[in-house]
Amino acid sequence: MSNETYAIQLNNITKTFGSVVANKNVNLSLKQGEILALLGENGSGKTTLMNMLSGIYQPDAGSITVNGEPVFIHSPEDSKRLGIGMIHQHFKLVDVYSAADNIWMGMPAVKYGLKEKLSAEKGNAGETFSVKSKRFFKKAGIVFRAAFFRISNAFLKKKRYAEIGEICKRFGFEIDPAKKVYNMAVSEKQTVEIVKVLLFGAKIIILDEPTAVLTVQEIEKLFAVLRRMKEEGHSVIIITHKLNEVKAISDRVAIMRKGEYITTVNTAETTEQELTDLMVGRKVDLNIERPVTDFDRPLLEIRDLTVKNDEGANAIDGVNFYIRGGEILGVAGIAGCGQKELCEAIAGLRKIESGVIAHKGENIVGLSPDKIIEKGISMSFIPEDRLGMGLAPSMSVTDNMMLKNYRERKYRVPFLKLKEGNEGKKSFRLKRGFVGFANKAIAAFNASCPIVDRKKARASAEQIIRDLEIVTPSSETPVRRLSGGNVQKVLLGREMLTQPNVVVTAYPVRGLDINSSYAIYRILNEQKQNGVGILFVGEDLDVLLALCDKIMVLCHGKLMGVVHAHKTSKEQLGLMMTGSLDLSGEAKMGFAKDSVLEEAQHG
Amino acid sequence: MKKILALGLAATLSAAGVAAFAGCGAEDEFVVGAIYINSQTDTAGYTYAHHNGITKAMEQLKLDAKTQLKIVDNVAEDTETVKKAVDTLVGQGADIVFGISFGYIDALEEKATEYKDIAFSHATGYKSNDKNFNNYFGRIYQARYLAGVVSGLKAKALDANASSYNLGYVSAYTTEYAETCSGINAYALGVQSILGDSVTVKVKKLGEWGNETNEKAYAEDLLTNHGCNIIAQHCDSAQPQIAAAAANKFGCGYNSDMTKDAPKGHLTAPIWNWDVYYNKAISAAKKNFDEYKAQGGNKADYMGKYVETVGGNYYGGLKEGFVDISALNAATVTEDAQKYVDAVKALIVAGTWDVFSGKALTYTVGENGAITVTPVDSVLTKNDNTPAGAVTDAVITGSMDYLVKGVTEV
Amino acid sequence: MAKSDITAAKKAPFVRFVKREGMKKRTVALYYICAVAAALLIGAVILACIGVNVFDYFGKMLTVGIAGSALPLRQIENYLNSFVPLVITTIGLSLAFKMKFWNIGGEGQFIVGAIVSSAIAFGCPDLPAWFLLLLMFFGGGICAGLYGLITAIFKVKFGTSETLLTLMLNYVALYFLAFLGNTQGEWNIFLNPESVRPIFGKFGENAVMPVIPLGGFSLNITVIVAILIVVLVWLYYGKTKHGYELLVVGDSPNTARYAGMNVGKIILRTVFFSAFLVGLAGAFRVSSMGTLSESVTNDVGWTGVVVAWLAKLNPFGILLVSALINVLQIGSQAAATSYMQIDANFADLLQGIILFIVLACDFFIRFRVIIRGREEKPKNEGKAEKEEG
Repeated sequence: MSNETYAIQLNNITKTFGSVVANKNVNLSLKQGEILALLGENGSGKTTLMNMLSGIYQPDAGSITVNGEPVFIHSPEDSKRLGIGMIHQHFKLVDVYSAADNIWMGMPAVKYGLKEKLSAEKGNAGETFSVKSKRFFKKAGIVFRAAFFRISNAFLKKKRYAEIGEICKRFGFEIDPAKKVYNMAVSEKQTVEIVKVLLFGAKIIILDEPTAVLTVQEIEKLFAVLRRMKEEGHSVIIITHKLNEVKAISDRVAIMRKGEYITTVNTAETTEQELTDLMVGRKVDLNIERPVTDFDRPLLEIRDLTVKNDEGANAIDGVNFYIRGGEILGVAGIAGCGQKELCEAIAGLRKIESGVIAHKGENIVGLSPDKIIEKGISMSFIPEDRLGMGLAPSMSVTDNMMLKNYRERKYRVPFLKLKEGNEGKKSFRLKRGFVGFANKAIAAFNASCPIVDRKKARASAEQIIRDLEIVTPSSETPVRRLSGGNVQKVLLGREMLTQPNVVVTAYPVRGLDINSSYAIYRILNEQKQNGVGILFVGEDLDVLLALCDKIMVLCHGKLMGVVHAHKTSKEQLGLMMTGSLDLSGEAKMGFAKDSVLEEAQHG
Repeated sequence: MKKILALGLAATLSAAGVAAFAGCGAEDEFVVGAIYINSQTDTAGYTYAHHNGITKAMEQLKLDAKTQLKIVDNVAEDTETVKKAVDTLVGQGADIVFGISFGYIDALEEKATEYKDIAFSHATGYKSNDKNFNNYFGRIYQARYLAGVVSGLKAKALDANASSYNLGYVSAYTTEYAETCSGINAYALGVQSILGDSVTVKVKKLGEWGNETNEKAYAEDLLTNHGCNIIAQHCDSAQPQIAAAAANKFGCGYNSDMTKDAPKGHLTAPIWNWDVYYNKAISAAKKNFDEYKAQGGNKADYMGKYVETVGGNYYGGLKEGFVDISALNAATVTEDAQKYVDAVKALIVAGTWDVFSGKALTYTVGENGAITVTPVDSVLTKNDNTPAGAVTDAVITGSMDYLVKGVTEV
Repeated sequence: MAKSDITAAKKAPFVRFVKREGMKKRTVALYYICAVAAALLIGAVILACIGVNVFDYFGKMLTVGIAGSALPLRQIENYLNSFVPLVITTIGLSLAFKMKFWNIGGEGQFIVGAIVSSAIAFGCPDLPAWFLLLLMFFGGGICAGLYGLITAIFKVKFGTSETLLTLMLNYVALYFLAFLGNTQGEWNIFLNPESVRPIFGKFGENAVMPVIPLGGFSLNITVIVAILIVVLVWLYYGKTKHGYELLVVGDSPNTARYAGMNVGKIILRTVFFSAFLVGLAGAFRVSSMGTLSESVTNDVGWTGVVVAWLAKLNPFGILLVSALINVLQIGSQAAATSYMQIDANFADLLQGIILFIVLACDFFIRFRVIIRGREEKPKNEGKAEKEEG
């Protein structure tokens, strides 16, 4: 065992971004021909670590060994040459090209052996001129032929497509080489990426959260591919934070926590509970509560909603559903099926093409975002970078607290009052008219107060810092200096502070450690018990199943149906997410179409 | 280490401050201040000519330019900036301030009222007072007339039997300024004195100062499209002369002897001898200053006599040696040119005749080649064939706004 | 795989730059002081080489020519007169910069402010002084604001680059000013009718900025106004709803939209204020000078960008940095008068060297340099962060 050369060895790798330590003295080894799961919560530094292997970042300290040779990896090209291939979370494909073209594009020129052939034609010192010139022409011929092949290949699609189809088959993939990327399902795109990497001659394959965008069925297929690659002698690192997948696919599990390497264990000898405890650093209760409430007034009703995405295609297409007070309605769907556009439409940030959004029976379509905020509808969307929407990263926690209610500060000039009596007299009517007018003016004057109330905001900031156990040096620290979990707590805390009656929240636990996630679930449950209606857009089906009362499934902007969480299964949801199962016709649950709100409660 | 550095810095700064304060004691010396439009380190051009004049005059007067001359250069024609420059110079102890560019006029006028104990002198302007502010300029048209004579002789020599002669003139402006149109007119009259009515002086206007590219292009246009064999100029660079030489044609430069720029084409150039005036002005101011030093009292009383001492506004010409033409280029001018020039110059210097006196010159060549010049009565006519009327000094310096017969703008 | 390819990947890059945060303020200050010292040292070497008395030169420069001047108070007045336009312009620019709207149209907006207020001064010289002055200031400011608004409208409606547009509009204004300064005609009220050559005329007495006489020193009122503006803008950022909106839009337009702010309106409003202040600086300038001029801006539109950047957009920082840069500019002229070998260009060069070194220092404060083979162990920088809070 000690003499074995590892495919990759990382020794004491450290990487910092500004004041954030992403990796600290990480040691990791990958054996030849194994599947190693890299387990850790989001933000524990897994992706950063792998990006140093793929040449996107360079470590601040520490060394990397590939096949026993110490190396420095400056660029993705270096990484490729070392036989490392990485499949990123976001695919790097050209949408309008076919699968084959995408694969062919990246093929190295060396394939034609140009360099080798040219170096074989090295001249000697004592050559005569004629020999020299002959050699020159020969070299030119080689270059010309190589160029010719490359150019002709660019035109002779048929031949190239056949060639690439052949290669795919050899690896055991089924790809239609002529299929354009934009027509492909996510899993197909992933396959193209894998083929690309293999074609480069990668011996070490790194997959960054490959299952996040796949359905249960697709995950099974992917795992089959990975197992076959392992048999062919490839070494694989798969990044994930899902324990069941770790158990299903890996030989060994390396665990990271908060940028540090914890340990590596053999998969066969461990349990999910043990892995969780290692990952989180202490004992964790893995159950999510689902309290029962008895509020059931529909608060937000959506009818025939159609919304376009930025490219002008229908992102949400004729969707109907409603949210009751005291319930959590989950939204499931693979990435990009319209969740973001739905949230933005409700918050008034996106133009609504057609349909109705009724809040407590009143249509709010066309209202400006601040008017919708005033109605008590809160929206918090956590994008991939976590800071893009909802927070001003360079501003302090206090400043972020008042983002939604900074307009409230008013001069407190008291309104005029009218003495009772003599109601019938003309002079009284005149007086009443004047007082009414004056009070309107005072109201306008009060609202025009140009000063913001930072004192109140600071008090709120300190309150939520205390209540939600936010770790920050002070309430005046810029939000971007906080860690991801704390940032999200700031965001959600603020939303709760405005005492909304409808909460729309997308990916609220994105990037959070388990403890923080549970804190967020607790906050949502508290709100639910207070009678707030919650729309919860989530990624993790397990969480949706455990937390939500009902789950609606979207597929390409269309509603596939609304199901009771305790009556459904992951498999059923998976089928609905890919569009293979459409329950929207039969299951009436959650529908309020063409009905008076009150009647719809038990529909 | 850092602390030591910081300490060192503090020490350096305070030392510098002390040294500077210690240096401000020498108030007794007479100091000349100058405000330049361009850089004092220029090696050619308008600012160079003045800088040269001032340093030359100071040398003649045994003043040390290194310590007794303070300069603010690259000062735009912006009243506020100029005022600030004056403040700086006065702050540095200047006793006379020269402003060499026209746009300084208002600032100098204002500052002359403010600093009554300092003399001010402004080039090319028209404002003055009777105490400490005068202006200075020169009769450059006299030199241009001479250049015209030399050009006429050359044109005749090139083609003695031509029925008409075309000469070119590249000018920054034409009738906008008396300075430019008097120059053009004088040049044309000079040429006509040799060639008579068969001459056309074709003027091309640049509309700006200091555009070398157009100065060259306009000269080339005159040479190729207007049949001009000789190019005169009232603009900054030697480009017209270089263009003429390149086309195997000839020309008269301006401001400096441009023979070095175009040895095969250049005839002669009207030039300024600024040191003549600077010598006069500086010695006048110094005289007032010395009296103040000797007798004491209120400095403004002494410096207030500056205008009187210097003799009012200065408008020097050939007579004073303030303007002249550069040495004739023997390689290009006609053999008899020097004799013609000398004869005309003698008339002007003697004060018996001037360019715009209304009399034309006729030449008689004696048997031994000697030239006799006789003024004959004539009527100065504008190029729209109306009579120009009497031309006084006021017209020459201020109101002339026409071109004489035989001049066309193209 | 060729063997040589692997060895090529073996060396770490020779120099790398790593961003750093959380430096102590005292250390930062020390860095700047060292940078200025180094710059002066280099300047001293150059000066000594061309035979200039270094102590005399720097003494005059750093004391703005007050040392050794016969008119020290006048020198201070002149210093303040060029200080005021720089401060107000920079504050104006910084308003837009805070919002990440790169208004580099300071020159143009300044000129528009100057032209419009001059037009008012020349057009109705007989109005009462206080009314005429207010009219000039607000007229100049508002027109400059509208001039800036052109860019903002294009940015909001069509997403055009404000950098390019403001830059181009600078030249439009500049050439229009040149046109006014060079074209004589009945209509041209800007020129002095008595002059044969086209030069700008002088304002009537009512249009000239009043001064407060303090003994031999006359304090231009705009100095007080400028400081007032700095304080007001500081309050604007920190205390007002508008200022708060501006900061949110600058930090994250998406968040602003999400919070229900009308981002377009905020951009238009802020750019108007920004250009208004710059235009006001122009109006102050012409009113203080009592005339218009082609070099009226004295390049404050450009210098302002540098000042705003060095001051990190902090209003009081701008006050300080403007004061220091102005020392360089005014001091250089005073120092250069005595030396025939130093023309204004050389003085500018010295200024440039000093500025360049300070800017370089700024870079090293923001970034840490790592040289191959001499890698520092990353310190526990979280500690410094806590201390700061």
